[in-house]
Amino acid sequence: MAHAATLSIKDLHKQYEVKGKPLSVMQDINLDIAPGDFISIVGSSGCGKSTLLRLLIGLEGDYQGDILLDGKRIVGTSLERGIVFQEHRLFPWLTVEKNIALSLLNAPLSPQEKAATVREHIELVGLKGFESAYPHQLSGGMSQRVAIARALVNRPDVLLLDEPFGALDAMTRAHLQQELHRIWRTEGITMILVTHDVEEAVYLGNRVVVMEPRPGRVRRIVPVTLPHPRDRASHGFATVREQVLREFAPQGAAELAEAPWKRELPSSPLSAWQFAV
Amino acid sequence: MTVQRSLTAPLPADGIGPPRLLFRPSLNWSVNWLWAWAVPLALLAIWQLASTRGWVPDQVLPAPRTVLNTFSDLLGSGELWSHLNISLVRVFAGFSIGLLGGLILGVAMGLSPLLRDYVYPLFKAFSQVPTIGWLPFLMLLVGIDESLKYLLIAKATLVPVAVNTCQGIQGVPHRFVEVARVYAFSRWQLLTRVVLPAATAPIWNGVRYGLTHAWLALVVVELLASSEGIGFLIVYGRQLFQLDVVLAAVLAVGMVGWALDKALQRTEDWLLRWRKSGF
Amino acid sequence: MSANIHKNTLPPQLRGWVLPLALLAAWAWAANAGWSDSPLLVSPLAVWERAVLQVRTGELWAGLSASLWRNAWGFAIGASAGLVFGALLGGSRWFDRLLGPSFHTLKQISLFAWIPMLSMWFGLGDAAKIAFIALAAFFPVVLNTCEGLRGVPREFIEVARVHGFSTWQLLGRVVAPAAAPSIFTGLQLSLIYTWLATLGAEYLMASGKGIGNTLIDGREHLWMDLVLLGIIVVGLVGAVLNWTLATLEKRLLAWRDRTVARY
Repeated sequence: MAHAATLSIKDLHKQYEVKGKPLSVMQDINLDIAPGDFISIVGSSGCGKSTLLRLLIGLEGDYQGDILLDGKRIVGTSLERGIVFQEHRLFPWLTVEKNIALSLLNAPLSPQEKAATVREHIELVGLKGFESAYPHQLSGGMSQRVAIARALVNRPDVLLLDEPFGALDAMTRAHLQQELHRIWRTEGITMILVTHDVEEAVYLGNRVVVMEPRPGRVRRIVPVTLPHPRDRASHGFATVREQVLREFAPQGAAELAEAPWKRELPSSPLSAWQFAV
Repeated sequence: MTVQRSLTAPLPADGIGPPRLLFRPSLNWSVNWLWAWAVPLALLAIWQLASTRGWVPDQVLPAPRTVLNTFSDLLGSGELWSHLNISLVRVFAGFSIGLLGGLILGVAMGLSPLLRDYVYPLFKAFSQVPTIGWLPFLMLLVGIDESLKYLLIAKATLVPVAVNTCQGIQGVPHRFVEVARVYAFSRWQLLTRVVLPAATAPIWNGVRYGLTHAWLALVVVELLASSEGIGFLIVYGRQLFQLDVVLAAVLAVGMVGWALDKALQRTEDWLLRWRKSGF
Repeated sequence: MSANIHKNTLPPQLRGWVLPLALLAAWAWAANAGWSDSPLLVSPLAVWERAVLQVRTGELWAGLSASLWRNAWGFAIGASAGLVFGALLGGSRWFDRLLGPSFHTLKQISLFAWIPMLSMWFGLGDAAKIAFIALAAFFPVVLNTCEGLRGVPREFIEVARVHGFSTWQLLGRVVAPAAAPSIFTGLQLSLIYTWLATLGAEYLMASGKGIGNTLIDGREHLWMDLVLLGIIVVGLVGAVLNWTLATLEKRLLAWRDRTVARY
């Protein structure tokens, strides 16, 4: 069982400057998360849920308010907080094993301990036998599982997940939701999941935080008191799901859809036209 | 020569590579190999005929046998090898200097936007002048000794290496850099474990271009300002109107060029063995 | 990442000028202070005066236009031959079988090594130079045209067949546009190599007029100012060429920049 921490977010505000004028992307966020808890955050695009996660992981700073992990203010990134992004972001030049091992680069463990925990986590996500595979040989679901293993291998106090299953097909998504749930039960780490899939949010979380956009605020926190593992077909589940969906009624469900990703153009070698032969 | 792929092309169905348009190349290697010789042999026959019948003066087109004799003479006496040797030494020396300079400059400009702002415009201006344009200038400055060759070859190498390295580093996806930040990598770790591996492909591309241009520059400078080397041999043969010498030397140039590029390609395949072709 | 901007450095647009201006100043100072009495140390002013002289006597334009004319002819001949050869190489199995290996072998020979042979057969006049420039234009066009045609995905062909396209429709509406970017790349590369070849031809077959001849002239007479002027002119032509290609490429790339859903 990994150590889980208490996360407190107090009066969080964040604004950007756009053309000289301040634009508030988040305000008055207050959230207390007990150790080992699972929080789902849902909201339409522009409600700042991804920004919130980036602040929690430390990739962005410059905010007003407090983010406290076990009472201590967080500064920058740290191995105590892990994240799974929407794209798996595995390094294509490393095998599954090496990708996971790379996150232990600065961990205070001996090489044998590192090898052991890498093996352990590969088994945890159900990828035993794929240690020497390269990312291009894996399916989307498998790659995301490696990403989860990579995030967990440091035994962080908090695991953040930013729409981890958004890019996968429905069946893989359902399967991985179950896996994530199993891992949460086994490891007991505090988890915060951001998603635009309401069903996923209700299935996994003990509380569903509904956010609304412009500026990003917490609209409502819906507790989910159903026992684990949850039955998606049950009446209780449907009730909670309705409660959450009702919060979106004014804008309509269409707002929940995410814009398609812009593929990153490979930098063209022929852009070196500026140079003579 | 790299070729742009259309970004709108769908993924290849069998994952092996883009399906051929009108035909799949026959896998019958022996048949293909035989046909490859058809045209060259036909040309050889015409050549032989032309010289026997005297259609063309002997000076312009000596008989194939003469050429073959000269070739074996050159090879046997070791003359071809010694000239080739000199050329190869020059290429490697100049290439190494240019490579080192290009990598340092490219990495520096790629990593530091400040440096890039200061240095890139001047660098770009200098590289508008093709390598060959610098030759008279350098000849005036340093004469025609070895330093001329090294300088020119180094310049020819430096530009593509620096450009591709800089672009390669700038092109490292930001999302990889964020992963390194999440795992608290130091700057050095970020550079060696993320940036350089991710930029290997474009950097190696630059290295290949660099070697091609280095070889090109070598041939030019030896044609114009040298008293030994494979390029000199070509000029020597030309001046004596000995096509056989010229052909032998040109053949050597072609083979070395091919061998160098092949070696680099093999290295690239090994360096990038984690990558599948296509997207 | 710190959001602080160092207030004591120059704004980005001006930074690029610092080094060139500093170099220019150092050069002028070195020339005036008489660092060395070599005739090679000319001042920037001398280069300017030479430029004015060359323009006034019309010599600069004569040389440059001769070079550009040869460049244009060589490119036209070489590129058109290349398009035809490349199309045949890419589209016809037999053509590829018979001529492919020979072509790829000849391609390995470093470009300038051809000049002595060409000069033996064609002499030293314009014909020989244009032949060489055409050769330089030929290879990149063939390679890229061939690749472009071969790279047309089978999926596109199938769509055309399903819609009952005739062969001409297939070639014109599917194959040509799909292969166009690659072919265009070949033409762009070819332009760069022809300029290089033009210069090289003028050095190595040093008869007649041309900007390359100007450079050779300057070297032989130890006129550093003429050499420097020549370099600047060559650089400017190269810059214009590269800038044109970059702009063209940007426009070509514009239709290829699609928003693709990530799966």
